[in-house]
Amino acid sequence: MTLRELCCRIAGLLRRQDPDADLDVEISSHLELAKARYLHRGMSEAEARRLAALEFGSLATARENVWEQRRMPGIASLVQDLQYAARGVRKSPGFAFVTVATLALGIGLCSLVYSGLGTGILRPLPGVPDPDRLALALAPVPYHWFESYRDQGKTAWTAAAFIPSVPFAVAIEGATPERITGALVSPEYFSTLRVRPMLGRFFDPRIETAGTSPVAVVTEHFWRTRLNADPHAIGRTLRVNGRAVPIVGVGSRDFFGAAPGSFGVPDIFIPATADPSIAPELHDDPLHRTARPEFFVLLRLAPRTTMAAAQARLDVATRALNKGPERRGLSMQLISASALVPLPKAARVALATFYGVLVFTILGLTCANLGGLLLARGAARGREFAIRLSIGAGRARLVRQLLTESAILAAAGGLAGFVAANAISSLVLRTQSASNPLIEIMNPGPDLGAVLFAFAISAVAAAGFGLLPALAVTRLDLMDAMKANFTAGMHRYRRLGLRNAFVVCQMAAATMLVLIMGFFVVGAKYGSRTEPGFDTAPISFFSVDPARDGLTRGESAAVLRSLPERLARLPGVDGVSLAGRPLFGNADPTTPVSVVSVTRPVALEQVGSRFFATLGATVLRGADFENRDLPSGDNSREVVPAAINQAAATELFGDRDPLGRRIRQGDRTFQVSAVVRYAPRAMLMGRPIPTVFVPLTAKDLEHGAAEGTTVVVRARTQVGIAELRRELAAIDSRLTLFHPQTLPEYLAESDRLGSKIAAFYSPVGVFGLLLACLGLAGVTAHTVQRRSKEIGIRMALGAQRSQVLRLVMGEGAVMVAAGTALGFAAATAFVRVLSAGSVQMAQLIGPVASNPALTVGVPAFLVAFAAIACYVPARRAATIDPLAALRED
Amino acid sequence: MPQNTKLDLLQGTLDLLVLQTLAAMGPLHGYGIARRIEESSGDEVLLNQGTIYASLVRLQQRQWIAAEWGVSDHNRRAKFYTITRLGRKRLTAETSYWQRLTTVIGRVLAPAEGGES
Repeated sequence: MTLRELCCRIAGLLRRQDPDADLDVEISSHLELAKARYLHRGMSEAEARRLAALEFGSLATARENVWEQRRMPGIASLVQDLQYAARGVRKSPGFAFVTVATLALGIGLCSLVYSGLGTGILRPLPGVPDPDRLALALAPVPYHWFESYRDQGKTAWTAAAFIPSVPFAVAIEGATPERITGALVSPEYFSTLRVRPMLGRFFDPRIETAGTSPVAVVTEHFWRTRLNADPHAIGRTLRVNGRAVPIVGVGSRDFFGAAPGSFGVPDIFIPATADPSIAPELHDDPLHRTARPEFFVLLRLAPRTTMAAAQARLDVATRALNKGPERRGLSMQLISASALVPLPKAARVALATFYGVLVFTILGLTCANLGGLLLARGAARGREFAIRLSIGAGRARLVRQLLTESAILAAAGGLAGFVAANAISSLVLRTQSASNPLIEIMNPGPDLGAVLFAFAISAVAAAGFGLLPALAVTRLDLMDAMKANFTAGMHRYRRLGLRNAFVVCQMAAATMLVLIMGFFVVGAKYGSRTEPGFDTAPISFFSVDPARDGLTRGESAAVLRSLPERLARLPGVDGVSLAGRPLFGNADPTTPVSVVSVTRPVALEQVGSRFFATLGATVLRGADFENRDLPSGDNSREVVPAAINQAAATELFGDRDPLGRRIRQGDRTFQVSAVVRYAPRAMLMGRPIPTVFVPLTAKDLEHGAAEGTTVVVRARTQVGIAELRRELAAIDSRLTLFHPQTLPEYLAESDRLGSKIAAFYSPVGVFGLLLACLGLAGVTAHTVQRRSKEIGIRMALGAQRSQVLRLVMGEGAVMVAAGTALGFAAATAFVRVLSAGSVQMAQLIGPVASNPALTVGVPAFLVAFAAIACYVPARRAATIDPLAALRED
Repeated sequence: MPQNTKLDLLQGTLDLLVLQTLAAMGPLHGYGIARRIEESSGDEVLLNQGTIYASLVRLQQRQWIAAEWGVSDHNRRAKFYTITRLGRKRLTAETSYWQRLTTVIGRVLAPAEGGES
């Protein structure tokens, strides 16, 4: 067929006028002319007509040939198929609805899981070219270690160092200062990331040499929200920690720094080589002193360097550095920094597996639903197929007809699925805080690829399962199939057990999905709940940071020393103490400490005098810290008193009495002076973390910690913020108070993370449940409808309603039980594998994996629901009028 | 001549015959084309006259011929077909192809016959 011919055929399709009439005129004049010729030869009228017709051949064939030439091949029958399929779908709206809803839910869920959860964490670092070549060393190191990595690895990598999440008090042209999170970066930072500035320039090792006056690079977010997208922002001056700092560059819109998923999104970058007075983090010359392991090292590997080769080189360099005077004994693990959240390979694999299994389960559930529905429907139509075959329909035609039906359903389902994906995504997103720019990166709405993928799989499933009944029927004895609608075809299926297998699969997948989601939701809510072990109600706290407010080191230490006493004099206040950071909710046991030869990770907290009395935490043995305990911090050989909680006592000393024993941490030595009742829980961790408390040193008071110094206030009555501010201003007018919070508020907030996780996973569980229910109800309803004649006969022969009920329910019960057991086993196995693969998962799921509310409740709930799904159609079956059922051939 | 000794038309040759007829005779209606083919073949071709209508539609779709309503000798409405320029080009190409083909087939068959005799 030539192209032009094709165009004519298509045009012929579109032309509404009737070319057949033309053809008829043409043919009739043809016959007339032929007849005239014979008449001319002297034949009779009848003879002439006969010969003309004979000469012409079959009229019908001629017409048919012309039609065949005119029309698009197969189009007419396709239109017929479409019309027929549409009529079929319209005539069973229940079936159509369940199928389309199943597809919509399945596709929507897959898209949510894929885009919202999976790729959020594994998504490549935005705004950075070739993120695959980036690697991050897991532990912070002193600056000079970084310099030696940088200089020794010249052929293997380029390196940069940075201190993430550094708070700065930033004021824009005379406005009041605000705390902005930024980063102190080595001048190689931007060139290692290979990012380009949107305005101005980034740092350069040749310009930003040690001790130069500080300059700043700000992010596009900062520039847009705080500088009103000023095109002349370069050269404008910010006041950073009280010093004038010119802006030299603005980052591009999609640049969020290295590893923003782990460290947060910085808004301002200051060179770490700048004059140390710019930030307290740089006091004491951390660029040359060895005792300050604060810098994270970022590497960009050379094109031919593998991760393993880089790790080996890093190990060699680290071993040499470990032989230096400080003997840290650090080992550096290198992980890929290509994603938003840099994760060790094992954790990445575990996460990917988790999301993979989740998507697989949802898709499996969807396909099992579709398969069950289409098989049931196909089986019910066995007679129809048999009739069509017996009156001459080809197998191919029947197959095409069924494919057309599946295609119509799949198209409708796909459309609904896309709508559902949008709706589900926006529903879940709305529960997340929109203020975090990272959420914007992580959740860009439904993932088109995932939607298409899920759609393709379900469409193939729909086509396949749609065809199965037809293929089975075409192998049947036609007479048998026509005689009864529940015999031949049905027996074949029952023997194969295919339809039953789908019900079992549905139950299994649903049980698995809901159980796993249950573990996550309950685990997240349960695990993040903090029960500190003391009454939190009277406690509130806030932070101050004198060093960043511009006070000298001496002034800062003096203010922090006198602050507790001054505030304690306020009416209603019972006690005031200090802490290095807000420590009540989230503590991670990340500091290794040793007792003789045992080394355990603990949370190390720095606190002020009378800390436990202020909290109201019971001191079980020994005594609270007093002012005289405070060490100077100058001498690392000094033995520092330490308080430990019960978890640490068990972890470090077992049954022995811990009082007076020594704990080593790096080159420092602590002596246990107290055991306290204090039980913070780590984020998402079910058990109290071992915690060691040491006193804040005089040095700590001089420069303050990154998060500021926390002032803990115990009060009988609520003390107003205004009152505290007034008191602070009276001490020193430069002091700013930030992050004021009551402890109960704070704990509720840290619980909110669990709620967020729950908010993310709950919809998956709920919609999964809905999906399972839809499929189950649909299949059972169809089964009963199909068997109405058999049930009619049974009832005509004297079966009671209860017997019919038992028959229908009994069959369902066996399948439901099998499916639930299978799903339960699969979920348990999956959780085991997951826990073995990832410590976080183990901590999250561990405490709830044997929670009877889940392990018994979820299957019980699903079984109960399945029972209802069986009961409703079974009851309908029991009310079948035997006579009507029998008459209905 | 008995019916069964008439030649069956080879697939695709009808189009060629129609084109050739129109090129030689000028505008003709369907019956005229059919008759002309029968006549010029000395009534040796077995032609169901009805079959030429599909061929005419096909040739029109390829724009090798054009059609126009007119009135026949017997005052009946009839469609008259004319060969187009594109059709003539095609005819030239097809004719030379056909001649090459028949020559080759003739050459292949000739020695075989000679061998037998």
